[in-house]
Order: sequence, then C-alpha cells, then structure tokens
Amino acid sequence: MTPASFRFSFIARSLAAAALLAVGTGAAQAAAAIGQPAPAFTGVDTAGQRVSLADHRGKTVVLEWINPGCPYVRKHYGAANMQATQKAAVDKGVVWLSINSTATDATDYLPPERMAAWMKEQKAAATATVMDVDGRIGRAYGARTTPHLYVIDSKGTLVYAGAIDNRPTARAADIAGATNHVQAALAEVLAGRSVSVPATQPYGCTIKYSAM
Amino acid sequence: MPASSASPTSARPARAWRAAVARVLLAAAAVIPAVLHAADSAVVRTDQARAELVVHAPQGVAAGSPLWLGLKIEHRPEWHTYWKNPGDSGLPTTLAFELPPGFVAGEIAWPTPRPLPVGPLVNFGYEGTLLLPVAVTVPAGFDGDALDVKLRADWLICKDVCIPEGGDFALRIPARAATTAHAALFDGARAAVPRRLDEVRGQATLAGGALQVSISGLPASWRGRPLQFLPELAGVIDNAAKPAARWQDATWSAAVPLSPQRSESPQSLQVVVVTAGEAAGIQVPLTIAGNWPSPGAGTTAAAPVEAARGPTGSSGDLGLAAAMALAFAGGLLLNLMPCVFPVLSLKVLGFAAHAQQRRTLLLGGLAYTAGVVVSFVALAAVLIALRAGGEQLGWGFQLQSPAFVAGLAALFTLIGLNLAGVFEVGSVLPGNLAALRARHPMVDSALTGVLAVAVASPCTAPFMGASLGLAATLPPVQALAVFVALGLGMAAPYLVASAWPAVARLLPRPGPWMAHFKVLMAFPMFATVVWLVWVLGQQVGIDGVAALLGSLLALALAAWALGSPSLGRGARWVLSSTALACLAATLAWALPSFVDPAARAGGAAARDTGARAGEPWEAWSASRVEQALGEGRAVFVDFTAAWCVTCQFNKRTVLADPAVLAEFQSRRVLLLRADWTRRDPAITAELARLQRNGVPVYALYAPGAVAPRLLGEILSAREVRDALGAL
Repeated sequence: MTPASFRFSFIARSLAAAALLAVGTGAAQAAAAIGQPAPAFTGVDTAGQRVSLADHRGKTVVLEWINPGCPYVRKHYGAANMQATQKAAVDKGVVWLSINSTATDATDYLPPERMAAWMKEQKAAATATVMDVDGRIGRAYGARTTPHLYVIDSKGTLVYAGAIDNRPTARAADIAGATNHVQAALAEVLAGRSVSVPATQPYGCTIKYSAM
Repeated sequence: MPASSASPTSARPARAWRAAVARVLLAAAAVIPAVLHAADSAVVRTDQARAELVVHAPQGVAAGSPLWLGLKIEHRPEWHTYWKNPGDSGLPTTLAFELPPGFVAGEIAWPTPRPLPVGPLVNFGYEGTLLLPVAVTVPAGFDGDALDVKLRADWLICKDVCIPEGGDFALRIPARAATTAHAALFDGARAAVPRRLDEVRGQATLAGGALQVSISGLPASWRGRPLQFLPELAGVIDNAAKPAARWQDATWSAAVPLSPQRSESPQSLQVVVVTAGEAAGIQVPLTIAGNWPSPGAGTTAAAPVEAARGPTGSSGDLGLAAAMALAFAGGLLLNLMPCVFPVLSLKVLGFAAHAQQRRTLLLGGLAYTAGVVVSFVALAAVLIALRAGGEQLGWGFQLQSPAFVAGLAALFTLIGLNLAGVFEVGSVLPGNLAALRARHPMVDSALTGVLAVAVASPCTAPFMGASLGLAATLPPVQALAVFVALGLGMAAPYLVASAWPAVARLLPRPGPWMAHFKVLMAFPMFATVVWLVWVLGQQVGIDGVAALLGSLLALALAAWALGSPSLGRGARWVLSSTALACLAATLAWALPSFVDPAARAGGAAARDTGARAGEPWEAWSASRVEQALGEGRAVFVDFTAAWCVTCQFNKRTVLADPAVLAEFQSRRVLLLRADWTRRDPAITAELARLQRNGVPVYALYAPGAVAPRLLGEILSAREVRDALGAL
C-alpha cells in the first residue's frame, strides 16, 4: 500500500459511515425502460437451443410474451393476427422472439415440445420460441401480460413496450379496425424514425411467474 | 374446484351457451310473467363467478328520485376482477346499459379496491362479493309502469389463469313500487366508494423519476399510518414499487416512482389513498407540476441505474438542482481526498502567513475559488468538446496519459523540493513572473486552485459519480453548471475560512514552527510522487519508472543548481549548465517512454487485473459477463484504475477480505476486474452504460436482472454481503 492510500484509509473510514448513508444501498430492480438499452438475456428455445439477445445485435428485435392458455393470446392467434404481424416483421429482417414466462407449476404451463407443437399448429412465424420458465427474462423486461410486446431497435435500445393494439378485449371481432401498435412501431423504426407511440398499456392475462 | 374446469378452453363455449340461453329467455319474455323473467335473465353464472344485474329504487322509477343499477359479482374464492385502474395486468369491468330514450346511466361508482400482488406484479381489484353501482337519471315526464333495462357487461376474472367473461342481462323494474331488495348491498357499496373531502388538498411535482406527492387535510385518525396510493389512471406509476412516504404533522408526502414503461402523461391525476381497516379511501385530485420525462431523453437516462443507488432507493433521474447539490457536496468531500490534501496544506500555510490581513485573505479565498471553478469549467469544456468529437474518453482521462502522470510527478517533485528548501521559487522562475507571484498573491491563490483541481479530478468522491454521469448526458450549458457547483463545493471551506477571520484565527500564529511545518509538508508531496511513479509503472512498466525517476533526479539537480540560495554566482553558472545538459539528455532518453502507451501495451503485462496465480479475479470483458450470466452465474465487476486511490483502498481491504471472497466463492460469483488505468474504449463504454464517467464502480450483475446493482464507492464488507444475500 502506498503512503497515499494509508492516508486515505483513515480518512475513508471516518467518511465511510456518512457516505454509505447518503449513497444508500437500495436495490430497487427497475424494469426495462423505454429509450434505454434493452436488458441482455440468454434463454433456451423449445428445441433446447441457446437464444441470446446479443446474437441479434444490429437487427431490430420484437419480443412477444405468450401463453397459449390465455384467451387474449388465442384472440390474436385464432384470428391469425399475431402470425400476420410476425410474418410481416420477419420478412423485413426483423427477429421475432416469442417468450413464454409461465411457471411450470401454473395450470396452463406447456412443456417445450407442446409449446413448439402449438406454435407449429398456429403457423407462427416467430424466429424462436423461448422457454423462460424461471421468469428471468420476463422480470427483466417487466412483462406483465400475455400478450405483451417489446420492440428493440438495431442499436439495442428499447423503443416500444405495450399492447399489440388499441382494443383491449378478448373478442376477435375487435381486431378489424384496431391500430396495431407493433406494426406502427416497426414501420417507424425500420424507416429510421423515432417511435411516435413508445408505450401503451398492455392487456391480457397476468403472467404467472414462478416464485423466486 | 378442479383447475381444469377453470381453463379458458371451456370458458368460451360455456359463455356462448349461456348467451344463447339468455337470448331464448329474452325471446320468451313476452309470454312469461315479468317477475319470473327478471329473476332469470338478470343472472349470469360462470365457473368462476355469479353475476347479477340488480336495482335499488327506494321511491320507484320517477324523475328526481334516486335510481341505482348495479352489477353484483360474487367471485369464487381466490378469483378477482379489476378496478378502473387494473394495475400491472387485468382489465376494468365494463358496463354498457341499454335504456329507453331519455334515461342516462352515469359512470361506475367504483368501490375502493385493494392491491392484489401476483408474483412481481401488483393489480388493483376485488375479491368476494362486489357491487359496481351506476346512478341513473330518469327523464322528466316519465310515467311508464315499468323500466326495461338491458346490460352488456364484460369482465376479466383471474386467479392464476385469466378468463375474459361477460354476459347480457335484462331486468324489468316496476316503476310505481319501491325496489329495495338489495338496499344493504347498495349501502355497502356506497360506503366503500372513495370520499371527496373539501379540506383535502393534494399536489404532485415531477422530479427524480417519481411523482413527489404531498397531501394535506386527511382525517386526523389517519396520521402516522401507512397509506396505499392508488392512481385512477393506469400506466403512470410503478405499481409494485414501495413509495418512500412519510407523515409530517398533518401532511403525507411520498415519492411514487414512475413506471419505466409509462404510457400516460396527464396534467392532473385523480388518486385514491386508503389506510388499512378503512372500507373507503379518499379521492384526491392531484395537479401535476413539472415536465414528464420523455422516454429515452437524457433526463430519464439515469433512471434504471440510479434506482439502485438513489438516496431514498427511489428510481429516478437527478434533476439539475439535485445534481448541482450533489456536485457541491462532492466538491466539499474532494478536499479530504489524499491527492488534493497536500495542495490544500499549501493553502493552510498561506492562511497562517496572512491571518492579520483580512482583505488579502478574502481576496485570496476568492481567487482560489475562481481558480478552482475556472479549472472545473475548463475541464468540463474539454470533456464536452471531446465527447462531441466522439472520443471515447471519460473523467479521469488525464491520469490515463503517462505523459500527464510524468508531468505531475515532476511538478510535485519540484513543490516538494521547494518546501524542503532545496531551492527557492523566486530564483528559479523568470524574473518578472516571480515578481508577479510575489506582488500578486491572488494569482498565486488562483494557481493553487488550478493545481488542486488538476490533481483532484480523478478521485471521484462519493456523490460525484452520479453528477458526472448526469453531466455527460446533459446539454453543455447545464453540464457546465454542474461543474461550477463542483468547483464551488471544493473551494467553499477555504472561501469560508478566508471570509471569516474567526475561522482563520483558529489557525496557529505564525512563528518558527512554520519553517518546520513547510519542510514537513514536503513529505506528503514526495509521497504523492511515489504514488504517481507507481501509477506510471502500471501504465508503461519498469522501464518507464526508471525513465521517470531519472528525469526527476535530473530535474532535482537542475532545480538545486539554479535555485539554491547558498550557491555562489560562479558555482551556479557551472553547475546550472551541467545540470541543464543532464536534464536535456535525460529527457531525450526518457520522453518516448511517456508518449506512446498503446505501443507498450504488450510490454506492460502487469495491469491491475490482479490476474496472477492464486487470485480469483479475471480480466473483464463484456462477453465474459454475458457468458457467465448465461450460465446462471452472478458476476461482480470491479471497475478500477491504478491511479484511483479509492479503488486501491477498496481492493486491498474489502475485496481482499477472506470472508468476502469466501462468500463470493460459495455463491459461484464470477469476479472480474475492469482496469481503466489506461484508455480502454470497451470499459469507457460500459461505464457510460452504467451512467458513470469515473472509477471506482462496483457492479453486481445478477442473472436475469435488468440493471446491475451498483455498490457504494467506498465499499464495506457488509454492503457486499448484503448485495450477495439479495441475489
């Protein structure tokens, strides 16, 4: 230790109490914030493959929280609305990750193979379906409902969080005429513009997270 | 109830069937007596709830008489429906009445809800038996025998799964008789509707990423009790966060964190506050002052990280005033930093010498302040200019440059030699400049201030990190304001001492002790030189150290030859020529060692990573962090630099504590050290991501967590263990 650090150590000790009081040790875990770097994550898809946000750096990424047991998810899949949104996005080079954060002990949990089968049956166009059974990714993004959608731009910034559209109902009939917020956000992001509606209130079923 | 019966798959056909039944019943209404009809089609049963359209008409149906309709929902145990603000998920129940012309149904008079935590989320809603009452206005001149009411109601009912349900209801209400069968139910609902009290006043200000709410006039019996804060609008606050709240006399105030994914920015906000044991909350209209932070704007940029370190633990950005206050406090603390203390001791000498001359003292204090502030502003301007130029630089960059370190070591050597009496300043400086110094103590004071800043800047004291991080994201003018505050804070103690001779008089009187004290002060200077030499060694290796020490030796010789008061003219001439030749030769040999650190990066293997045999620390890289998190391991990163004394202090105390290391090991925490001794764009970028511009920074990355948890700049073993315990 240098003499300077010796000097410092006694000053530091006398200061430490006051400094710690002021600096605080709070550990509030804030959810992902709009306009901020999207939290990095690594998960496992239904085929057991590793999926990492970092792998898609430089691309626009959509995260879709999903649970096939949820009527609101079924609303958008049953009417092929979600699949159409996925396909339009993926065709433009967007990476679409559907994420299921349902805990294994929830009544509507689907194991990976059944989840994969459901997505196939629905003709989903998602790039991958991530099994987030411990809810780590969902908690990191503050995902609350299924569906709950997020758009991350090519620089890795979270630019949209919220509902798929502006009709918070479970009726498929309400899809026609609704404003699809995700399509709108993607159009703006891909055109290099800022997203005019960066946050909406998501609607759907409460995500049943595993107890941590 | 078996879980499978609650599955949404069965809910949909069941509802369709029920709707069909309802329609059949409606069709049959013409032939079935009205009473029977009302009893049947006013009820919808699902597996999760029984819902009924009910009426309260104590004076029949007539203009001017009260008429209430309501939807009664009896939830199965553990199931709930939602308030008008459903919270993090869920949807409010909707009622669409179909009434004869002229009848107007009002808004739902929502009873006070309660928070319903679901894992990490919080919803607002109702369990058990609920009545959603609606007041109906009867048109003047209504004289029918009965009122036919139709209602389409939709609600989302959840336990662990959520089921959207709804139903069509119909009810015939006799107009000329009182209907009071549900009086108790309506009375109960009315008693639970939030009250409006004239004496209650509320206001809110947007600051620090939170609504700073203050409410007065609440009932005296509520004082001192915890309150639940329920906004009537969804998408504004962080529902799961616990607001930092307190009572001061009759006023309740709280910092309610905003949602990081806020979708609403209202100018006023109606909220309900309620305390445990009260059926009804109190409705408070809040006017909102201040500007909503726009998503992604600089002002909110600090939110996620600041959340983990703000004084109250509340999330939020630092307002400019708060940043300036923090900067001022940081500046004050800078005085105690070891790398500035020696310089300030020079100042103490100055005070003792001028204690009788009040004006001189004050002017000196002001000059010192000016020197400090101007230096901070100049540094900030350089920082801003470089930032604008896209340079990956951070605070403390001066000491990342070996040439700067060498220059500083030379300066401190000269100060030390001067204090020790090896040479006298007046005789070494060019004549007119020396006179300037002698005649203008203010210039001397200002230069002392400049020197203090140059040395202190890399020692990011507690508090300073946040201000600097913020300043880097602020528009230039505001950033400069923060730096001015930093400078004022640093100069404040000396300005005060110079302004109030009472303070200055506490200093010892001048006397022979001053000569001794002056020589004594040489030693901290040399200690600082030792430290700077060590820093340079970290940067350029042992050859660089030899070059620096050689240069310092030659410099010392030259200073003595030129400035020693005891040398005769002839001796000085000979010695000075020799010494200057020596100095020139030494510098010619040594200078290249300080100029190009990058070229020497390979040679200087001994960086501050501590990646030596037996040490648990690995060198930091962003991919290593990501990899470990992917494996489910937590990661602790020590952002450090050899020239950062605070860093070294922590490294050798808390981070070398066997108990702390054992704790890390038992939790399989990967220990990484990010060494910022020399410029490193990757580390600079990561620091920027953490809203920091300097070291030390201690970050604990938990798998799946949004942002790493940042620990204090002066670590304690307890703090580290607490952070690990929270994993």
